[in-house]
Amino acid sequence: MAQVRRAARLNVSALVSRIVAAIGGGYVVAALASVAVLALPMDKSQAVITGMLASFAIYAGAVVWVFAVRSAWRAWAGLLVVAAPLALVAWAVSSGLVTGGAA
Amino acid sequence: MMHLYTFAICLVGFAALAMATERQQEALFHGVSRVRTRQYRRIGWTALVVALGVSVVNQGWGFGLVTYSGQTSMAAGLVYLALIVAERRRSR
Amino acid sequence: MTPANTTSVKPQGRGIRQTMSDLHTWAGLLVGWLLYAMFLTGTVSYFKDELSQWMRPDVPHQRVLPDAAVVAQNVSHQLTTLAAGSPQWSVYLPTERNPVVNVFWRNAPTDVKGDKGGNRRGFEEATFDPATGQRLKARETLGGEFFYRFHFQFHPLPVLWGRWLAGFCAMFMLVAIISGVITHKKIFIDFFTFRWGKGQRSWLDAHNALSVFGLPFHLMITYTGLVTLMAMYMPWGAQVAIKTPAERAQMSAQLSAFPPPIKATGDKAPLASIDAMVRQAQARWGANDVGRVSITNPGDAAARVAVTRGEATRVSMSPQYLLFNGTTGELLDVKDNVGAAAETRGVMYALHLGRFSDLHLRWLYFLVSLGGTAMVGTGLVMWTVKRRSQLPDPARPHFGFHVVERLNIAAIAGLSVAMTAFLWGNRLIPADAAGRSATEVDLFYGAWAATLLYALGRPARRAWIELLWIATALLTLLPLLNALTTSRGLWHSVAAGDWVYVGVDLMVWALAALHAWLAIRTARHKPKLKTKPVRAAQVAAAAQTSDTPVNARLNEDRA
Repeated sequence: MAQVRRAARLNVSALVSRIVAAIGGGYVVAALASVAVLALPMDKSQAVITGMLASFAIYAGAVVWVFAVRSAWRAWAGLLVVAAPLALVAWAVSSGLVTGGAA
Repeated sequence: MMHLYTFAICLVGFAALAMATERQQEALFHGVSRVRTRQYRRIGWTALVVALGVSVVNQGWGFGLVTYSGQTSMAAGLVYLALIVAERRRSR
Repeated sequence: MTPANTTSVKPQGRGIRQTMSDLHTWAGLLVGWLLYAMFLTGTVSYFKDELSQWMRPDVPHQRVLPDAAVVAQNVSHQLTTLAAGSPQWSVYLPTERNPVVNVFWRNAPTDVKGDKGGNRRGFEEATFDPATGQRLKARETLGGEFFYRFHFQFHPLPVLWGRWLAGFCAMFMLVAIISGVITHKKIFIDFFTFRWGKGQRSWLDAHNALSVFGLPFHLMITYTGLVTLMAMYMPWGAQVAIKTPAERAQMSAQLSAFPPPIKATGDKAPLASIDAMVRQAQARWGANDVGRVSITNPGDAAARVAVTRGEATRVSMSPQYLLFNGTTGELLDVKDNVGAAAETRGVMYALHLGRFSDLHLRWLYFLVSLGGTAMVGTGLVMWTVKRRSQLPDPARPHFGFHVVERLNIAAIAGLSVAMTAFLWGNRLIPADAAGRSATEVDLFYGAWAATLLYALGRPARRAWIELLWIATALLTLLPLLNALTTSRGLWHSVAAGDWVYVGVDLMVWALAALHAWLAIRTARHKPKLKTKPVRAAQVAAAAQTSDTPVNARLNEDRA
């Protein structure tokens, strides 16, 4: 009985973990992507707009992916694998190291 | 007036595609035939392409595509509704 | 199809389709009531201009629209006295669907005129008759704009909160669409090979049918809806890259048809001929395709006039305007293209609003959107129909089921009652009553709340049927109320060739018929409660022993 209860609690916390990953983590990935796109050799205004336009597809894709994978751990791992390089590029862009296209 | 023509062509197209499916062939012709399936599918897709062409030639790409999208959605829905009504009538 | 194990520890072997089905159900259920309301008010908003006309019966029927250039000149002349000292005027020229001149002007920074609460308003507004150039005396009402503003910001919620909530729901919708398609992968192939069953199956079939035929539209409308407010939802790129005023101006030029503000010099100078400026625009775009005249620093030497293109002849809302020197009338700039990404955004924005539509396209938008509304509604109802058949004791459902069932009734049947009550309020509240615009909105929410209380007080099935009949009655009587309280009843409108009024009255009757049909269908529907006693006991036992939340499982009976 106790084993079933513990297993059930793990299930709930795994679910909550996925929900956080989907709603919060997904948004972060989409937001990072919308900044990282500025590194592309594109006119700055157009790059900003492109980033915004694409962000919702990335967000939705991330959410679906989080629930499609086999465990909450994999969900987080996947998000981090995608977010890390995006964060790197986004940081580079925001600190002026990468300037992408013309203003 | 042109809108009515393109809409009618869309209806024909979806009706043909519907009649090409196994289920409708069983219901209407009491048997599936490969020839008939191919024929109806051809008619269906041709009609849909023609409707698109007429729409775009008449209204340009922007308005043509938007009109086409709306009309295909509506036509598909109406054909579907007709099939449901027919099926219910048959099963009565 | 093997029944899912309720006490499993790891969801192994559940398969992608099952998890996507769960995701679809939860995503849909959690925001379904709000989504239904957004869909219905959005659907109605495609005819918001017509509704606004109907809700201002004191504005006479405009048979012929006078020339836009003349109208613009007349109104601008009026504004030199009415809006003197304002740094910016915006004159929205009349269209066939909106045959009045709507004017907004910013209050001068030093002007502390405001409402009784002492709050300083940012701008004033007025409406003018295009034929006479005089200010229109019409009853104070939001008109169809109320449904429009409810749709994307849940008016009267604070604007930011409302828009975030709408965006949140829209993201859930997008996820529901994607997960729905993955769940039913053969959705297009299966389209014509439905099985129209009875009971819970027919709800599933209805939901599937409505989802499929409208899928291109739903995907488009959801994504473009998010795009309309994307600068608010995803401001990060702009925050990082757009820092200097020059960059901001450049960015703004890609998105907005309001030219950048320039400093007033303080020297007075009269405005040049607005008529001539509008005629240049008409020569370029067409006599009826001038949308707006925006005048910055009117009466100052540094006045600028932007004449913006109308929305009827292109599938895009990207900025296009002619910029004139306000005092000399000289054409300074022609803005007629933007970058590729900006144009893409312009097209997406236009696709959502559908303002380019002629009557035929507008009806297509309306009908397919109504189908989308029904899709959300059938999804919500289907959840309770399915769950009811799995209840151990259908007479005493668990709390969650109870909540969903009552909210369904209020959100679906109740919303129809509330929206109709809004229109009743428009006719019943005296035309000169103070604050009547807000009272109309209060009536909407009051009626909606009343339907929730009603749904809580009555047995669920009776509540559905009774509220649907109440909606039917309110809708049926509305054109009669119109005829009794105004001089623009249906017969009069037909005689006068006032097709907008005829259209609204007839549409209201068509919706009444729809609600009557729904009420009758609901009355005939017999819920399937056949659960084998053995299975019921199993479910009850499992529910007692495990803490696992009872996930809503959508058992797809078809492969």
